[in-house]
Amino acid sequence: MAATPTPLEVRNIKKRFGDTEVLKGLSLQAQKGDVITLIGASGSGKSTFLRCMNLLEQPDDGDLIVHGEPIRFKTTRHGREPEDWKQVVQMRAKLSMVFQSFNLWAHMTLLENIIEAPIHVLKKPKKEALEHAHALLDRVGLTARANAYPAQMSGGQQQRGAIARALAMDPEVMLFDEPTSALDPELVGDVLKVMHGLAEEGRTMVVVTHEMGFARDVSSQVIYLHQGLVEEAGPPDQVLNNPQSPRLQQFLAPKY
Amino acid sequence: MIDLQGYGPRLIEGAGVTIQLAVLSLILAIILGLLTASAKMSRNWFLRRTATVYTTLIRGVPDLVLMMLLFFGGQIGVNAISDMLYYSYDIDIYINFNAFAAGVLTIGFIFGAYMGETFRGAFMAVDNGQIEAGKAYGMSNGLVFRRIRFPQMMRHALPGLSNNWMVLLKTTALVSVIGLTDMVRVAAEASRATHEPFTFLIPVAVAYLLIASVSEWIFARLQKHYDIGFGGQ
Amino acid sequence: MLDISTWFNDLLAGNTIFTADTLGYYWEGLVTTTQLVFLSLVAGLILAVPLAIMRSSKHKWISLPIYLYTYIFRGTPLLIQLYIIYYGVVFIDGIQESFLWPVLREAFYPALIAFTLNTAAYTTEIFRGAIKATAKGEIEAARAYGMSQNLMMRRIILPSAFRRALPAYGNEVIFMLHASAIASVVTLMDLTGAARFVYARYYAPFEAFLFVAAIYLCLTFAILFFFRYLEKKLLAHLRPQDA
Repeated sequence: MAATPTPLEVRNIKKRFGDTEVLKGLSLQAQKGDVITLIGASGSGKSTFLRCMNLLEQPDDGDLIVHGEPIRFKTTRHGREPEDWKQVVQMRAKLSMVFQSFNLWAHMTLLENIIEAPIHVLKKPKKEALEHAHALLDRVGLTARANAYPAQMSGGQQQRGAIARALAMDPEVMLFDEPTSALDPELVGDVLKVMHGLAEEGRTMVVVTHEMGFARDVSSQVIYLHQGLVEEAGPPDQVLNNPQSPRLQQFLAPKY
Repeated sequence: MIDLQGYGPRLIEGAGVTIQLAVLSLILAIILGLLTASAKMSRNWFLRRTATVYTTLIRGVPDLVLMMLLFFGGQIGVNAISDMLYYSYDIDIYINFNAFAAGVLTIGFIFGAYMGETFRGAFMAVDNGQIEAGKAYGMSNGLVFRRIRFPQMMRHALPGLSNNWMVLLKTTALVSVIGLTDMVRVAAEASRATHEPFTFLIPVAVAYLLIASVSEWIFARLQKHYDIGFGGQ
Repeated sequence: MLDISTWFNDLLAGNTIFTADTLGYYWEGLVTTTQLVFLSLVAGLILAVPLAIMRSSKHKWISLPIYLYTYIFRGTPLLIQLYIIYYGVVFIDGIQESFLWPVLREAFYPALIAFTLNTAAYTTEIFRGAIKATAKGEIEAARAYGMSQNLMMRRIILPSAFRRALPAYGNEVIFMLHASAIASVVTLMDLTGAARFVYARYYAPFEAFLFVAAIYLCLTFAILFFFRYLEKKLLAHLRPQDA
């Protein structure tokens, strides 16, 4: 069997903001079909870690290998930065991100949001992009909202729309940054259902989340971060049902 | 140093005219603005209507046209009054409707409309509960206005006020067109006479920037003063 | 056709000031004012887009010169700018021998240049404010989806900034219409120039200036309604849908 390159691998990522070191050397490897969930208290660095994976944050140290291709860095007087931004742009097109606050482009309809990057970044023909977009809208249950603007949709609809936008890129890996944290509780379910479906069809996903049920049900691997370090990692059964460290035990303990 | 060819003293006099004109117009504009804002918020239908018509008309017509209307029309109006006084009462006076008065009146009148909007917004931003508290402690309406509403309103009004002042300052240049010798007119005359426009016009432009910078500094100080009790920002 | 002209003559009958002649002056003035304002707005807009992008640059050496330009043109009276260009154009070396001279000698072109530079300065600052106000998350999403700096500017930042700038730009258009009245100072027969001419000829300030004020008022309202309509169309995305 020909070895397919690992979709996403990060090694020994370090990041500091001013005097505080928020990531103290984190690694992760996502094989095809993996669903990796990052959990941890706020301030544990899980979102920053995720944002380092597509270089929305610049890590101070560490390697980033996307689909077998290492990102090249150089050191300038401002710190470390990518040697070739074109490479970064190409890399980002392979990883698509879903944000906590959706970040749909407000001046475009939902449909326009979905076809924007495929047409202008991936240079897909418009007809093809539209066909794909309609299929995706159907999939996330938003066919009726295709021509609505983001401000006219509920938070749950916006987030499902944002997931459709991410899928339209045919990404190698999808990055989810707390996708349900900004939603009203009654809207969380629909979004999780869509994500569940994606996991089942074998999408490679890295998910930062507070939804322990989701982590337990769909993850192939759960990573618990504490103060910028991996405290515990492994299959959900092991990490969530049989936590070893007292901190994780406390983190998972039901709250009264 | 640039050679002002003897126009130096006149330019400085002109700058004095510009500043006097601007300050007097500002005072008139503030008074008219406060009146307009009160009229717009009054319960009286007629007052509200009048204020709206006033602000709409002013904002729909160029400053220069209003200025000419008042200046050229004003003299005829004043003459008519003095004629009437002469024929009916045998009082013989000659009133000279001068350019300075026309300038102050027009600019004050124009910016009164803009100030009205600024003040109205500022009045409405003051917490009504504090006004009620003042009344509840037996303060008269005048006292409530002077001691509570006005100081707090100024905080909200200052940015708009400062903005209006900057525009007003530049508008004063228009009086040179109706014959008032402000610094723009002196510079334009000198340019024509000496064929050296840059020598005179550029220093005048710099003078405007200078006045603007100084006023900006003053407004920043004032804002600081009125921001007391509201934290930084 | 005949009916209309009889009706028109009847209307003007017994009127010593508003003869067909005078109305002709006003009409020509309206044409001049419209040309001047329209052309300077279009040219100013074309200049303002790249200038606003440069003004928003994080490199000081790019943004600072633009700031200096907008500071000077927004901080001094338009009349001074007009005088400097109108009187100053003569002194450009060799201009009187150049083929441009017959054009530049007319007051129209110095006025057009002054108005263009002035409105470009204001518009640059309006756009810069709108660019600065772009939602951070939308920019992040664009970066995360592999957009280059240029593509992001073209597809995400500018389209949303233009929409946001619309109300302020509408005010700028009205401001330019009113400011254009000073063209009459350098002998141009614009609307205000026509009014001054009629005033001087008949010594009738009220008729001459009230009439022109009414024309300006109508133009102002027309611009106002046009921008209201544009806002309604282009800012639909900001309004929550009525349930």
